[in-house]
Amino acid sequence: MLSDLLISMPPGFMMMLAALPIMALPHHARQVAMLVAIGASAFSLTAGAGDHWIVSLMGFELILYRADHLSLPFAIVFHIAATLNVFYGWHEKRATDHVAGIAYAGAAIAALHAGDLVTLFIWWEATAVTSVFLILASGTQRARRAAMRYLIVQVLSGVLLLSGAAMLFSQTGTLEFAAMELGSIGTWMVFIAFGFKAAFPLLNGWLQDAYPEATVVGTVILSAFTTKLAIYALARGFAGTDLLIVIGCLMTAFPVFFAVIENDMRRVLAYSLNNQLGFMVVAIGIGTELAINGAVAHAFAHIIYKGLLFMSMGAVLYRVGTVKASELGGLYRSMPWTTVFCIVGAMSISAFPLFSGFAAKSLIMSALGYKGLVAAYLVLLAASAGVLHHSGIKIPYFAFFGHDGGHKVKEAPFGMLLAMGLASVLCIGIGSLPGLFYSILPYSLDYNPYDASHVVGQLQLLIFSILAFTFLMTFKFYPPELKSTVLNTDWLYRRVAPVIGRPVLAGVMAVWRSFVVALAGYRDMVLDTVEKVMHAPIAGPTVPGKAVMIQTMLLAIILAVGYLVAG
Amino acid sequence: MSGNTEEAARLALLGKWATRVLIAMGAVLVVLEFVVHRHGEIAAEDFPLFPAVYAFVVCILIVVGGIYLRKIAMRGEDYYDAE
Repeated sequence: MLSDLLISMPPGFMMMLAALPIMALPHHARQVAMLVAIGASAFSLTAGAGDHWIVSLMGFELILYRADHLSLPFAIVFHIAATLNVFYGWHEKRATDHVAGIAYAGAAIAALHAGDLVTLFIWWEATAVTSVFLILASGTQRARRAAMRYLIVQVLSGVLLLSGAAMLFSQTGTLEFAAMELGSIGTWMVFIAFGFKAAFPLLNGWLQDAYPEATVVGTVILSAFTTKLAIYALARGFAGTDLLIVIGCLMTAFPVFFAVIENDMRRVLAYSLNNQLGFMVVAIGIGTELAINGAVAHAFAHIIYKGLLFMSMGAVLYRVGTVKASELGGLYRSMPWTTVFCIVGAMSISAFPLFSGFAAKSLIMSALGYKGLVAAYLVLLAASAGVLHHSGIKIPYFAFFGHDGGHKVKEAPFGMLLAMGLASVLCIGIGSLPGLFYSILPYSLDYNPYDASHVVGQLQLLIFSILAFTFLMTFKFYPPELKSTVLNTDWLYRRVAPVIGRPVLAGVMAVWRSFVVALAGYRDMVLDTVEKVMHAPIAGPTVPGKAVMIQTMLLAIILAVGYLVAG
Repeated sequence: MSGNTEEAARLALLGKWATRVLIAMGAVLVVLEFVVHRHGEIAAEDFPLFPAVYAFVVCILIVVGGIYLRKIAMRGEDYYDAE
C-alpha cells in the first residue's frame, strides 16, 4: 500500500513534505530522516516512463508527474547529489541549511517531472524561494544583500517563464512543456527565463555573486540544482537551436579569464561552473542524439565533480575560515584526505582519462566534430585547457600546495570526508566504466572514448597545459593572487543601474508626491463642503442640513431595495 | 620560524619533483605521438603534436588575457562594501 502511494507521488514531493517536520527533530535524527525522505522520493522513480499524475484545474490540464528518458538521468543524479549533501552537512547542527536544502532539492526534482509550463513555473519559483535561505543563513550583511539580488533575478526568471507560458497558451491552446522553436515573443520569454537560470552571458552575474556568499554546506547544495534544472529545461525545450552553440561558446570562453584572476576560491569555482554549463549549452544547440547524450552525461558527471570541488573548498573554509587564494597554501599536510579528494575532482573536471569528465566531454567533442563545427570545436578545446588551468590546477595548487599559508588545522569532519569519498568513487567509477554510465543516457549509444588516439590526444592537451602553468610559475609570469574584487556582469545592476535608476526614481517620486498633495487638497475641499452642509440650516431655522442628508440617504436605500425587489 | 622555512623547503622540493614528473610525462607523450596513429575529430588536429602545442599556447594566452582583464575589471576588495 505504502509503495503504491509513494509511486503515485511525483519524485521530490516527499522531500518537500519532509522539510518542515525535520525542523523539530534532533540533529542526528534529522539527517537520518532526510535520507529516508530522499529514498522515498527516489522510490517514486520506479513508476517508470509515462504521465502518472494529471490534474484538471480551471480548465487547464496540469501534468504533475511525467517521466521519460530525458528526465530520468537528471532525476538520478539529483537524488545522488541530495544524498551526498546530507552526509556532507552532517556536522551542521543548525536546521536552516538542512530544511532549505531538502526543500530546494525536492523542488528541483519535482520540476524535472513537470509536464506542463505552469507546473514547471511553480517548482521553478519554489527552487528560488527555498534556496535563498542557504545564502541568508550565512548571516552577514554581505550575504543578505547578495541573497536579495539572487532572489530578484530568480523570481524575474520565473515571471518571464509564466508570461511566456501564458502567451504560448493563447497562441497554441496548450501548456505542455515540449520542444519549442524560437520565434514568437512567448518562446523568447521562456528561452530567456531558462537563460537566466542557465547563466547565459550577461545574465550570469547572480551565479558568481551569490553562490560564494552561501554557507559552507549551502554552496555545495546550490551548485547542484538550479543551473542543471535549466540545462534540462533547455534540452527539452530548445534542443537543436543554433543560437545555443554561439551562446555556449561564449559561456565556455569568458569565465575562464575571470577564474584565472579571481581570489576567492569558491568564486573561481562559480566561474568554472559557468564555463562547464557552456559545454552543455553547446551540446544542446547541436541537438543530435549524440550531442544530447553528451549534454546529459556532462550535466550528470558535472554535478558530482563540481559538488566535490565545492565540498573540498567548503571543508577548507570550515577549517581555515577563509578560501582566499592569497591566504591559503600548504594545507596538504593538515588536510591530506581533502587534498586527495580535491585532486580527484580536479582531474574529473579536467577530463583526465579514467575520470568522469573524460567520459562525458568526449561525447560533446565528437558531436561537434561529426557536425563539422570547427570554430566551436576549437573554442571548446581551448576552454578545456582553460578548465584544467583554473579548476584543475589553480584550486588544488593554491589551496593545498603553493606557498605555505601557515595554517595548522584539523582534517575535515567525518561526514564531509565521507561525502567527498563517495563523490570521488563516483567520479572514478563513471570515468572507468563508461558503458554502464552511457546506459542511463536518453539515447542508446555505441561509443567508446578509450581508443589510443583519443587518450594520447587528451593527455597531450592536459599535460602540456600543466607544463604551461609550471613554465609561467617558474619564470614568475603567473599573476600573483591578489585581494581584490573582479567586476562581473552583476556590476550592471549593482553599480550602473543605481546611477541611472536613482534620478529616474527621484523623478517618479516627485510626481507621486505632487499627486498625493493635490489629492489631499481635493479631499479637504470635499470634507469642508460636507461639514458646512451638515451644520448650515437649509430650509429655514427648523430643518438643519443633517436632517436633509439623513432623509436623502434613507430615500436612496429605499430606492435601491425597491429596485432590487422589482428587478 | 624554523617550521615555516622547513615547510617552504618541503613545498619547493615537492614542486621540483612534480615538475620533473610532468616533463617526463610530456616527453613520453611526444614519443607516443609518433608511435600511436593519432587522429582527431577535425582535420587540424591531425597535425603532429597539435593538442600539445594548442594547449600550451592557449594556456599562456589565457593568463595574458587575465593580466589585461585585471587592468580593466579589478577593484579593491571592499569595492562593493560601500553599497
